[in-house]
Amino acid sequence: MTTQTPAAARTGHVRARLSPRRRRLVVRVVQYVVLLAAFVAVALLIKWDSVAENIFNIDAARALLPKIPRAFGNTLLYMVCSFALSIVLGTLLALMRVSEVRLYRIVSTIYVEFFRGIPALLYVIAVGLALPLVVNFSLTSTLLKVTIALGMVSSAYVAETMRAGLQAVPRGQIEAARSLGMSTARTTMTVVVPQAFRIVLPPLTNEVILLTKDTALISSLGLMIPEFELTKIGQNALSSGAGGGLTPMFVVGACYLVITIPLGIFARRLEAKGARSRS
Amino acid sequence: MTAQATAPVVDIRGLHKSFGQREVLKGVDLTIAPGEVVCVIGPSGSGKSTLLRCVNQLETASAGSVEVLGTEITDPDVDIDAVRSRVGMVFQGFNLFAHLTVLENCTVAQRKVLRRPKEEAERIALENLERVGLGDRGDAHPHQLSGGQQQRVAIARALAMDPQLMLFDEPTSALDPELVGDVLAVMRALAEGGMTMMVVTHEMAFARDVADRVVFIDGGVIVEEGAPADVIGNPQHPRTQLFLQRVLDPTHAHGTTTD
Repeated sequence: MTTQTPAAARTGHVRARLSPRRRRLVVRVVQYVVLLAAFVAVALLIKWDSVAENIFNIDAARALLPKIPRAFGNTLLYMVCSFALSIVLGTLLALMRVSEVRLYRIVSTIYVEFFRGIPALLYVIAVGLALPLVVNFSLTSTLLKVTIALGMVSSAYVAETMRAGLQAVPRGQIEAARSLGMSTARTTMTVVVPQAFRIVLPPLTNEVILLTKDTALISSLGLMIPEFELTKIGQNALSSGAGGGLTPMFVVGACYLVITIPLGIFARRLEAKGARSRS
Repeated sequence: MTAQATAPVVDIRGLHKSFGQREVLKGVDLTIAPGEVVCVIGPSGSGKSTLLRCVNQLETASAGSVEVLGTEITDPDVDIDAVRSRVGMVFQGFNLFAHLTVLENCTVAQRKVLRRPKEEAERIALENLERVGLGDRGDAHPHQLSGGQQQRVAIARALAMDPQLMLFDEPTSALDPELVGDVLAVMRALAEGGMTMMVVTHEMAFARDVADRVVFIDGGVIVEEGAPADVIGNPQHPRTQLFLQRVLDPTHAHGTTTD
C-alpha cells in the first residue's frame, strides 16, 4: 500500500470501485432497506388489536367529543390572552433591555433570567395557588391567573426575541426619524418597534406555538368544569375508567395540532415573504 | 422671517468634535447666509460629514458653538426636535422607512411632528413627490424603487416639512453612476429655487456649477474656502491642489505629493 505511487493508486481506485453515480444508487437502496426494516420491526413490536382497543378506540373518542368544543375554545382563549400580555410585557422588557438607563437594563435582565430559568409549571402553580393568598385584592378569575402565569413566563422569551429585533433595526432609520424632528420616544414607537416586529414575526410565531402547548400546564390547577381546557378533559377521561385506554390523550393531542400546524405554516410563509422583501 | 433675512442660517464657531481620543474637527468656523448653497469637499476622513451632522446635532459638539436658524443648538437645554423639524437632512444611504410606503414616508413626520391633518399632509407630500418626479409612486414600498428614486423620495420627505435649511450628506455616493444625474438635477432645481443648502459631496461638477461657495476641509480644519471658480478652478493651498488632482484626474494621482 505505502509503496504505491499516487498515480498507480488513482488508477487502481478507478478500476476497483463503482462510479460515483452507481455508488450513490447503492447507498440509497441500502438506506431504504434499513428504513423499511425499522418500520417492520416497529410493526412487529406492536400488538395491533390492543392499539385499536387502547389508542384509537372509536367509542372512547366519541364519548369525549361533546366536551371538545368548549375545551378547545378555552385553550384558544387562554393562549390568546396570555400572548397578549406576553407581547406587551415582552416588548416593554426588550425596550428596557436596550435602554440607556442602567437600572432598566438590570431589572429587565433579572426578569428574563428568572423566568427563563424556572420551570413554567412551578410558576403556574405558584400563581394559581399561592398568589391569591398574598395579594390584597381578590384574585379568583381563572382566566386572569392563567394570563398572568403563562403571559409572564412567555414574556421573558418574547423579550429576548424582541431585543434581537430592536437591535436589528438599522441605525440610519433612527437617524432619519430624529432628523425629521421626532423625539426619541416618538421614533421608538413610529419607526423602531414596527420594524422590529416585522423582523421577529417568524420567531414570534414559534413563541405562540410554545405558548399554545404550555396551556396544558393549567390542568394542574383546580379548574371548574366550564374552565376545562384540552389537557384537563383528556386527563379526566383517562382517569374516569370508562375504557378506551389512552385514546382521550390522542384525541386532545390531535386538537393541539389543529392549532399549531397552521401556525407553523403561517410562520414559514412569513419567513419566505420576509426573505423576498429584503432581497 | 423678515427679521432672519439677514441673520445667518448656520453660524458655527470654534467647533471641535472628538470621538474618544480621536479629534475629528479641530476648530471650524463657518457661516451660511439665507439662500446660500455651500458645498463641503474634502478627502474621506477629513471630518466633512461630521461637520454636517453637527449642524442638526446627530453628532454633539465637543466644544464650540453651533447656531441654526437663530437657535443655539449646542445649549444642553435646547429643544433640538423643534430645530430639526425645520432642517431637512438627506443621507448617503437614503434611510427611507422600510415599513412604510413612499407616501407614508413623506407624511409620517408631518403628521406626528407638525400635527398636520391627514389630507393636508398627503397633499403636501404629493406636491413634493411631483417636484422630484415621483408623483406616481406614492403607493410603492422603498425596496421596489431604484437607489436614485429612493434618494429623490428622501429629498421629498425632507421637503414636505417645509425646511428652511437642507443638509445633504454625500447624497449621490451610494448611487450607480447613471442614477446620479436625476438626484443632482433635483438638487440643482432646489438651489435655484432659493433653498439654503449645505452639501457634502464628491461631485465636483455639481459644486462648480451650483454652489455659491465651496469649503475644502482636511484634517478637521477648513483649509480653503471661496467661490467655486477659485477653490476648484484655481486652488491656492497645496492640500487642495493635491485633493482636486486626485479627484479630477484619478489615474494620474501619483508622484505629485507636495507636503
